[in-house]
Amino acid sequence: MNNSHMGKYAAGFGLSLVVTVLLNAVILVIKEISTPVMSVMKAILGHHWTTHGSLLIVIYIVLGCLFSATGLKDRLDSGKLLKYIIWAVVISVIIIAGFFLPGLNITATIKC
Amino acid sequence: MLHVLFGVLGILFAVALFVDVLNAHEGNYRRIKKLSSAVAILIVLAFLIGGYWYVVYYGADREIIKAGKWPWAHNYFMEVKEHIFFSLLLLSIYLPIAVRGVMPLNNTKKKNLILGICALIILLGLFMEGAGGIISKGVTMGLGR
Repeated sequence: MNNSHMGKYAAGFGLSLVVTVLLNAVILVIKEISTPVMSVMKAILGHHWTTHGSLLIVIYIVLGCLFSATGLKDRLDSGKLLKYIIWAVVISVIIIAGFFLPGLNITATIKC
Repeated sequence: MLHVLFGVLGILFAVALFVDVLNAHEGNYRRIKKLSSAVAILIVLAFLIGGYWYVVYYGADREIIKAGKWPWAHNYFMEVKEHIFFSLLLLSIYLPIAVRGVMPLNNTKKKNLILGICALIILLGLFMEGAGGIISKGVTMGLGR
């Protein structure tokens, strides 16, 4: 084992984190542009945000357990994983912050 | 507003963990593990309490903000905040798993993984606090104060 390699759970849940963080942005875009999806998410747990969060946590745990059971820890080192995590968070933040950009109508407020 | 307190404490514990990892040695490994668990617990508490408040009580505030002078406090900052928070939550839950998985911290790449996660938690946490302040001000503006 390479010195920068990690335990199976750190590798498995690390990759699961990468996937889930990206999925967060994807679910957001889908539910915001699709009224039926938004309605279903509201109906499941009473609020779309509660369903969204619960879904992400379940996916994170399930994928984490699945990835941990594979031989991922031998192929993934700490350096690579950190790069994946940073890129996932940056891409997710850009998608979320960009998607709601039309709602940031500060100039209209300043003109008033 | 207990979720704000837990959020701030989570950020401060992440800063403490960042410094401890920079100076990692056998003597502070136990504290590093405890700090990583504390960050996860505090952010999860902020999620549960803030989430409950958001789902049950925020609706009235939202209407005030949207009818007021700063509708973008909800239309942008609340919408972005409530969704980016999930990344912060997942990073915080992963932190103690990563810390225990890379111990002992005898390698730069292993340290960098923990430092990187801490830095992301601190940055996203600070955004949450700032956005929360703007949203609160949005309510005040909506009430015409």
